[in-house]
Amino acid sequence: MSGVADNAAFAAALLDPGRPAPPGLVSWNGSDPAQRFAVYRNNVTTSLIDALSETFPVVRQLVGATFFRAMAREFVRRSPPRSPVLAWYGDLFADFVAAFPPAAGLPYLADMARLEYARVLAFHAADVAPAAVADVAACLAEPVILPSLRLHLQPSLRLIDSPFAIVSLWGAHQGVGDLATIDPLQPECALVLRHGLSLAVMTVPPAAGRFIAALQSGAALGDAVREASTEDAPFDPTPALGLLIAHDLLVGVGQSPGQQGEQP
Amino acid sequence: MHQNDTTRHASAAALALALGAALNFAAAPAIAADAAKEKCYGVAMKGKNDCKAGAGTSCAGSSTKDYQGNAWTYVPAGTCEKTASPTSPTGMGQLKEFKEKKA
Repeated sequence: MSGVADNAAFAAALLDPGRPAPPGLVSWNGSDPAQRFAVYRNNVTTSLIDALSETFPVVRQLVGATFFRAMAREFVRRSPPRSPVLAWYGDLFADFVAAFPPAAGLPYLADMARLEYARVLAFHAADVAPAAVADVAACLAEPVILPSLRLHLQPSLRLIDSPFAIVSLWGAHQGVGDLATIDPLQPECALVLRHGLSLAVMTVPPAAGRFIAALQSGAALGDAVREASTEDAPFDPTPALGLLIAHDLLVGVGQSPGQQGEQP
Repeated sequence: MHQNDTTRHASAAALALALGAALNFAAAPAIAADAAKEKCYGVAMKGKNDCKAGAGTSCAGSSTKDYQGNAWTYVPAGTCEKTASPTSPTGMGQLKEFKEKKA
């Protein structure tokens, strides 16, 4: 078989067991090509479900293997991989889970999927050397530049601000804490980071989360502090900066482009 | 954008203080490891690095039977049975009640 149309027909049949095997298939030993195709289709679907199951182990534990595989099967058929890298498969899974009616009873499930996918992204993110302490210290010599200073953070750093206790729930599935004592409705801001080859998940206060998110989006230090402050609670960036520095998450400092004159 | 000089300079002094204090965390790597465990930031938790994706194919020809539409008679049945449930009438109901509700 050849041609784009044939490929499209093959791909469509691969994801939909309701469709007949694509035309033009032959088998080497005279067995029924439709049956052989059904085996292949099953293997494709199963291997993608297995991949999701390995990427989202806590989601799987939260709903049980039977429910998870059924849900994953729906997802596989609606959202087949768009990248040949299987590790990236599941980037749309959290959104799917959020809109999946049978899972509505567990409203934190989608954010748990986001947390687990963030761990995959953090694990595969580029390695960047942390900023030299001397470079950061040098900025102190001229405090007037600090509000417009840009802090560049590790690409592996991920934040998930959730209305649910996703870090506590996730931790309980790693043997940290007691599941029965966790209130899932407690909001938690999750920070995912990587040291070498090991991932860590922790919570940060909501204001620190806003501060770090602002830095990640390219805001200058002064603007990030304002972003994290509320009317009654000015934000003290010391603990958050300490956290970033202590975990080697700060990879560079630089001046904002155009911080001297405003753009017309 | 339109901060006056007083505000900007006060802010700069505060930032200098904050950044200076924060740099102490970098001074001693041994302390850095402990910082993750400070209570104000919760406990850093490590998971298994089981990001490995790409499990192979299932055994050839053995058909894992498709869950059809009737899959949705299943309800989530994992460790959530031990987790409080926000949507149950009591606010803290357990999975068992879901099962009864949906079945």
